[in-house]
Amino acid sequence: MFRAFELKMKGGIGGGFATDQQGMAGVNMGLWLRISAGIDAVNRKVGAGVSWLILAMTLVSAANAVSRKAFNFSSNAFLEIQWYLFAAVFLLAAGYTLLNNEHVRVDIVNTRFAARARLWIELFGTVFFLVPLTLLVLWYGWPYFVMSFTSREISLQAGGLILWPVKLLIPAGFLLLLLQGASQAIKLIAALSGRYPAQALLDRHNTQEDEVKALIQGRQHDGSPG
Amino acid sequence: MTAFLVQYIGPLMFAGLVLFLLLGYPVAFALSAIGLLFGFIGVEVGLLHPELLQALPQRIYGVMQNDTLLAIPFFTFMGLVLERSGMAEDLLETIGQLFGPIRGGLAYSVIFVGGLLAATTGVVAASVIAMGLISLPIMMRYGYDKRLSSGVIAASGTLAQIIPPSLVLIVMADQLGRSIGDLYRGALVPGLMLMGLYAGYVFIMSLLRPASVPALPPEARTLRGNLLVRRALLTMIPPVVLIFLVLGTIFLGIATPTEGGAMGACGALALAAVRGRLSLRVLRQSLDTTAKLSCFVMFILIGSTVFGLVFRGVNGDLWVEHLLTGLPGGALGFLIAVNLLVFVLAFFLDYFELAFILVPLLAPVADKLGIDLVWFGVLLSVNMQTSFLHPPFGFALFYLRSVAPKQVKTSDIYLGAVPFVCIQVLMVGLVIAFPNLAMVEHGKLDSSSMPRLEVPVSDDFESAPAVFDLRPEDLKNYGGAPAGATGKE
Repeated sequence: MFRAFELKMKGGIGGGFATDQQGMAGVNMGLWLRISAGIDAVNRKVGAGVSWLILAMTLVSAANAVSRKAFNFSSNAFLEIQWYLFAAVFLLAAGYTLLNNEHVRVDIVNTRFAARARLWIELFGTVFFLVPLTLLVLWYGWPYFVMSFTSREISLQAGGLILWPVKLLIPAGFLLLLLQGASQAIKLIAALSGRYPAQALLDRHNTQEDEVKALIQGRQHDGSPG
Repeated sequence: MTAFLVQYIGPLMFAGLVLFLLLGYPVAFALSAIGLLFGFIGVEVGLLHPELLQALPQRIYGVMQNDTLLAIPFFTFMGLVLERSGMAEDLLETIGQLFGPIRGGLAYSVIFVGGLLAATTGVVAASVIAMGLISLPIMMRYGYDKRLSSGVIAASGTLAQIIPPSLVLIVMADQLGRSIGDLYRGALVPGLMLMGLYAGYVFIMSLLRPASVPALPPEARTLRGNLLVRRALLTMIPPVVLIFLVLGTIFLGIATPTEGGAMGACGALALAAVRGRLSLRVLRQSLDTTAKLSCFVMFILIGSTVFGLVFRGVNGDLWVEHLLTGLPGGALGFLIAVNLLVFVLAFFLDYFELAFILVPLLAPVADKLGIDLVWFGVLLSVNMQTSFLHPPFGFALFYLRSVAPKQVKTSDIYLGAVPFVCIQVLMVGLVIAFPNLAMVEHGKLDSSSMPRLEVPVSDDFESAPAVFDLRPEDLKNYGGAPAGATGKE
């Protein structure tokens, strides 16, 4: 959950990164790393928050299905709110997913490179793959939202919902993604100059599998009939 | 230079894609980067209008409105809650006791439980880990062959991919423009047949090399007689109820796949709560993982949308079509070539990548050759199942390695998977040879083809005119809903 904290605990390669405040060429790496940690904290909060919307959409969808069958009552608003919520989840969690290194990759070649080369690839990808996309979407996405907002656009479905909030999700999500990209870039540069644990940026965290493993093993040790 | 670019921009773009993907940066952004790069090149050499990229927010908005993929978070969430509810462990232990006394019984129980779990969840990791932790040590203890044990566990775990409600089939339905319900129906028989083939392999091994699959000795049977039967029936109730709640309602047309997923998720929550395993922590972890999985899937789709927008803009799709229709042997030649391609690519790519990158290129060609797209989707899904089993990167093998006892060597896991990869290829061959195995009657009324009425929103200047495919039967099905009202699902 609190990865920044874990990182401090890990120490890792070289150790003592935080103590070295002055970077190469007099750049204050400590300040940049604090900014990065701030962005990470924001995205971690947002990610943890929006994941609850999945529970909300599950309940809405199930309730709608039951009421449609049982009471013959259904509303487009219920159907629309589901994809509104889902859009909020996956757009706003984009930065969080990047932070957790959960965007899938083709790592067949990559993993054979030295850690340093992988850090460079990561930095290259962040600057030339991720950032241009987010900037472009922000550039075109903001007026797209403004147009909807000023015209008070409403879904044309009967009983449809107001549309601008959902269109605001596009620039909002990509802004969070851009910020996370910046945070990753800071950490990568710091790692390349030995001020941040490189492995923390390169490891894929199979948290889901690890959790299940821990759960089952825990039960086996308890001797409970699991 | 410009002339060269103009002529070969499609193939160049494809080559660029391979290169960018191999760099190992997240697929979603590598895809969009190659799209943007060639978008700018296309504009520079005059192949594309500069306005093309302005449509980006609308494309993303289109992805957001996608009803089909709405099923993904539901089935993922359901699967994650179930993994944590301990259902898999109970099933494995009880069914293992039930089948244990016969030769190969533990292996059969793994296949059977694998199938049951597959029919309740769409995620592979869970089953493999549960089986690796619970069944594998027992199999080792009583002298099962290491390779056969790990192979049967990895393969049974991947059944979650092909037996509905699988996430792969949802993505496939979306990319092929077919209903999830049809793909689920089409995949049912091949999925069950795979279970049969796995069991058949175990049976043959029990005849050829009985020592590799011994029966459980009497002292290992902790349950017997009536108690065993009662326990077995009791543990079977939750999965059977869930299977009905989800698949039953979808197949009977009572619920849409999305609703089925949501109800299944509620069922899983209820089950976990009843068993006292629903803590705030479990809930939070499941939601968190679901959010991240949904996010990466949807972002691959956004990336492939950017790529596709430009690739079609520079007529790359025509190049692919030309390449594939030019194959000798017509439709059969196409199918063989495509399956070989998918089989090889499955070594490098996982199924989300295959489905979002490759399938949109293949589908129009298949359609043009008169191939039924539902059938085609099921065929590719069976093939893509191998992406989990291919050494050394197959995820099922990877998960199994992480939980297998030390005495099972990595090479055992890799070699153990080989016979099952062969079975998978055999199944692909069977589906091609006997198309009826995965054929679904179309136009059958089911709730997954509910009336859909799309009216372009006011500023959707680029979109095509409104699409009405509201059929009279659908209205009847809807109890005569007034035109204009719509069940948008």
